[in-house]
Amino acid sequence: MGSYLVRRFLLMALTLFGMSILIFVMLRLVPGDIADILVDAAGIADAKEKAKIAKELGLDRPILEQYGQWIGGLSRGDLGFAYVSERPAIEEIAPRIPISAKLTLMALFFSIILGVPFGVISAVRQNTALDYSLRVISLSGLSLPSFWLGLLVLMASVHWFGTIPIYTNEPRGFLQEVGLLAIPAAVVGFRSSALIMRLTRSSMLEVMRQDYIRTARSKGASNTSVNYNHALRNALLPVVTVIGIEAAFLVGGLIVTETVFNIPGVARFLVEAIRWRDYPIVQNLVMLIAFVVVTVNFLVDMAYMVLDPRIKYAD
Amino acid sequence: MRSRVAFAAGTLAAFVLAAAPAFAQKQGGTLKISHRDNPPSASIHEEATISVVQPFMAAFNNLVMFDPNEKINSPDKIVPDLAESWSWSPDQTKLTFKLRSGVKWHDGKPFSAKDVKCTWDALIGQEEKSELIRKNPRKVWYSNLKDVTVGSDTEVTFVLGRPQPSFLSMLAAGYSPVYACHANGRDMRSKPIGTGPFKVVDFKRNESIKLVRNPDYWKKGRPYLDAIDWKIVPNRSTRTLGFVAGEFDMTFDSDVTFPMLKDVKAQKPDAVCEARPTNVNANILINRDAPPFDKPEVRRALVLAIDQKPFNDILFEGHALYGAAMLPPPAGFWGMPKEMLETLPGFGTDIAKNRAEARAIMEKLGYTKDKPLKIKVATRNIAIYRDPAVILIDQLKAINIDAELDPIDTTVWYNKIQRKDYSVGMNLTGGGVDDPDTAFYENFHSSSDRNYTAYKNPEVDALIEKQSAELDRDKRKKIVWEIEKKLAEDGARPVINHNVANTCWTPQLKGLVLQQNSIYNGWRFEDVWLDR
Amino acid sequence: MAIIDHEAELHRAGANITGWRSQLVFTARRYPLGAVGAVIVLTFVFTAVFANFIAPFDPTSTDAKASLARPGGVFWLGADFMGRDMFSRIVYGARISLAVGLGATLMGGILGVSIGLMSGYLGGAVDLLTQRLMDIMQSLPLLVMALVMAAALGPSLENTIIAIAIPLVPSVARVVRSSTLSLREQPFVEAARAVGMGELRIAVRHVLPNTLAPLIVLGTAQLGSAILVEASLSFLGLGIPEPYPSWGRMLSESAAEYVRTAPWLVIFPGVAISMTVFGTNLLGDALRDILDPRQRS
Repeated sequence: MGSYLVRRFLLMALTLFGMSILIFVMLRLVPGDIADILVDAAGIADAKEKAKIAKELGLDRPILEQYGQWIGGLSRGDLGFAYVSERPAIEEIAPRIPISAKLTLMALFFSIILGVPFGVISAVRQNTALDYSLRVISLSGLSLPSFWLGLLVLMASVHWFGTIPIYTNEPRGFLQEVGLLAIPAAVVGFRSSALIMRLTRSSMLEVMRQDYIRTARSKGASNTSVNYNHALRNALLPVVTVIGIEAAFLVGGLIVTETVFNIPGVARFLVEAIRWRDYPIVQNLVMLIAFVVVTVNFLVDMAYMVLDPRIKYAD
Repeated sequence: MRSRVAFAAGTLAAFVLAAAPAFAQKQGGTLKISHRDNPPSASIHEEATISVVQPFMAAFNNLVMFDPNEKINSPDKIVPDLAESWSWSPDQTKLTFKLRSGVKWHDGKPFSAKDVKCTWDALIGQEEKSELIRKNPRKVWYSNLKDVTVGSDTEVTFVLGRPQPSFLSMLAAGYSPVYACHANGRDMRSKPIGTGPFKVVDFKRNESIKLVRNPDYWKKGRPYLDAIDWKIVPNRSTRTLGFVAGEFDMTFDSDVTFPMLKDVKAQKPDAVCEARPTNVNANILINRDAPPFDKPEVRRALVLAIDQKPFNDILFEGHALYGAAMLPPPAGFWGMPKEMLETLPGFGTDIAKNRAEARAIMEKLGYTKDKPLKIKVATRNIAIYRDPAVILIDQLKAINIDAELDPIDTTVWYNKIQRKDYSVGMNLTGGGVDDPDTAFYENFHSSSDRNYTAYKNPEVDALIEKQSAELDRDKRKKIVWEIEKKLAEDGARPVINHNVANTCWTPQLKGLVLQQNSIYNGWRFEDVWLDR
Repeated sequence: MAIIDHEAELHRAGANITGWRSQLVFTARRYPLGAVGAVIVLTFVFTAVFANFIAPFDPTSTDAKASLARPGGVFWLGADFMGRDMFSRIVYGARISLAVGLGATLMGGILGVSIGLMSGYLGGAVDLLTQRLMDIMQSLPLLVMALVMAAALGPSLENTIIAIAIPLVPSVARVVRSSTLSLREQPFVEAARAVGMGELRIAVRHVLPNTLAPLIVLGTAQLGSAILVEASLSFLGLGIPEPYPSWGRMLSESAAEYVRTAPWLVIFPGVAISMTVFGTNLLGDALRDILDPRQRS
């Protein structure tokens, strides 16, 4: 167990290290750099000024040196300076994390309270009209682009209320904040709820076919009791895994949703930073996302180990 | 007086209201405005976009400014700002300003003539080590400025190489604020200090800009507002909705297109909306160094193929203005009269005849309907560039040119054009001041850095210099028109039209005067107040 | 395990049905949702292939008089700001979606299969190295990875396909690798080796065909996500550039300008994307049930 943990940690570190190289190299392949953007914003292309800016930002130094500087700083908790705002990158990134984190948690909450119960119902009523319609709805959840769903919600809001919720930075109290984030969270969460529902359903069906459920039933346990006490508890194990993984992958959905709803979270910031070729911001944000994904994967494995005693890690 | 005539009938009412004597102004309130994108920085001298000027002009003062209560920026209507008065030397090469005393920067340090010198030294590259700016997009404005000398704390003199009547107009532009000697570039780009009516307290990238009233402002009783809150909302629909729903008191400058105007008016009937030129004209770049457009007749055919009206009808519902290189009158101060304009190539009304002539040229060169000339139309990958390019491509079909859109990432656009790596391009040209010196030197003089098409015509160069030094206004206008004519005949950036767009605000917002011939001036916000 | 009624199972599986037509009808009856999916996907492919015959107008032709025309009349689905026919643009947009969806899925599939086969078959250092590489690529969500790739490559049709294909590789490689690992110890592979067949030939002739079923299932699912990712990238302005009528780009522009004045510009491209992806998902579910009974839901 101990050595397994050590190995997992080493693998995580290796993955993140590889990601740091990958993102660093890919960013340097992007046509144009921040100096081009800044010069372009001023409507000129003065080579001298461009060179001056490039030098000031250290873009003229060898790639390896730039990489060493970034990783060196990162290991000391120094994220470097944002190119556009010329402020420490941490000051730009940190305030945006809680916004996206809240949105993710709310989306996750939403997807669980929708996905699990409907998945169970769908399984218990397998092949009924209810099952079919729930399956179609969940499939549509996987098919609607979340930005389009967001736009439809906005359009509906305009149509019925004549206005839309515009995110403000200082929500007046908890309720207003929840109110502002609820709709975007539901839009992002819809997709995950569809996934969770499908998984809950198939997992439930699998478990219900198992011998011990038949045994329980033959011993005279009521249907409801069997479904909810025995089957559900066991069926939820793989669902927990997917919930964990979705938590990390919701970030993908956040990118478009934060853009549609104008929410100043990390995901929209990533798109904006890519557009501005603001390497320090993009690099650190990508590392942050990769870190979250890798950590969540690790936690899910751990949870699996704890929840399912059948799994043993020998080496 | 002609310059007083508002250019569109609909704006006349707004004009009268705005010009009426202001009484019973109310103090206080926060003005909320939507912003279209993230300003590249807060440093006006380093940038060339309304995204910077509109929010940050209120933090600064100029030496002089175009009269903020006049609709038309005119060289005859320049009023004092930080300078109390000014005078020209008899040979018209030295401009001396007498400065206001007792003015303080936002950090409490006193303002003096040294700050003026620091600012313009940095702009003419006098001070090599200057940390004030790192980019200088309007260097060409000051190519005639030789030196800035400080007489006393309240006296400063600009020494010019030759007489240049436009010089004062440039100093009066919103693009010409006075910076503090003791400031550094990084602060000016993120949280600038000025002497203006509002202090910048926060500039959150992609989110918001907050300005608050400067209690120590030198102009007594100003400003009226307590604060100005800008919120950055990149999606135009969301911005417009925010305005309609009352989240914002005002739209971003020129943010309401004509197709959207009807909707805004329907949803918010009390909205005050004013249309005016955006100081931007759509024009075509033709690479005359590479085949097939190295042949003058092919260039001519291209110009003849253009029907300006559909561009105007589609993009501006017919509200755009037709003009040559300068913004046309009555909104523009310098443009040539309409009768003259109609004699220029591409401005005729018989499109069918023009196109027949163009087709004949093309067919003579072997380009037929079945064997068309294949070209790419390069443009920046931004909607305001792409939209006219799409229409151009559609129109070129009529003269056997099969064009494909080549959207260029905005970061490499200028590089590509400078390398002459294009054949036809759709371009937008904007100007900071309605002034022939800025327009011609920037875009058409062979010595200019910003003449990125490398247009070179010694005759035009000579005329540009001649008009620049001409002190007689009427004589100067005639030379300006001659230049416009030459440029049009030469196919140097054939102009399709001058863009017009709307800016809207709530009727509770009072005291705002939009300038008809420059969107970059008039954003000091010191006379603006909220009636609630 | 319960006793299986072989007879009934065989009947249920349609063993007694002959002739492709009745097979088809039987399968469609058995998997009604899958049949609906297949119809949608076929319509999509048909539209894409015959776009130039179906579209009543040139999708790039502008018309001032038709600017923001309402749906109905000549313009069935209305016209955009520049007076371009929405229906024609959506029809041509199917081409882009198909090109990107199919292109990315195939490219990702081919790369993934090669890497997975290599990794599972050769094992050792090669396996270790590719597995770590896949780990790295999977440490970012699909859209984030595609976003960074698309930015690095620049906007064009080809680059968008590559940017979406690369992030699809790891899941294909993983599926192929795991089935290869289990297959290479199977008796029939041992037998092939015993008769002196080359390793590459064994891999391609014997191992690969046996991984086909899960691959087809995965591929269908990836086709749907590729179409969605393209739409998202184009929506963010990092995907297909303007001359091509991409559904995602059409949405992004109308979303920015015409949510209120011309909602049909927002609704129809979105319906096109959703229907297409919905179809591939329905089809994918049915294919999984048919081809991969272990995962049957």
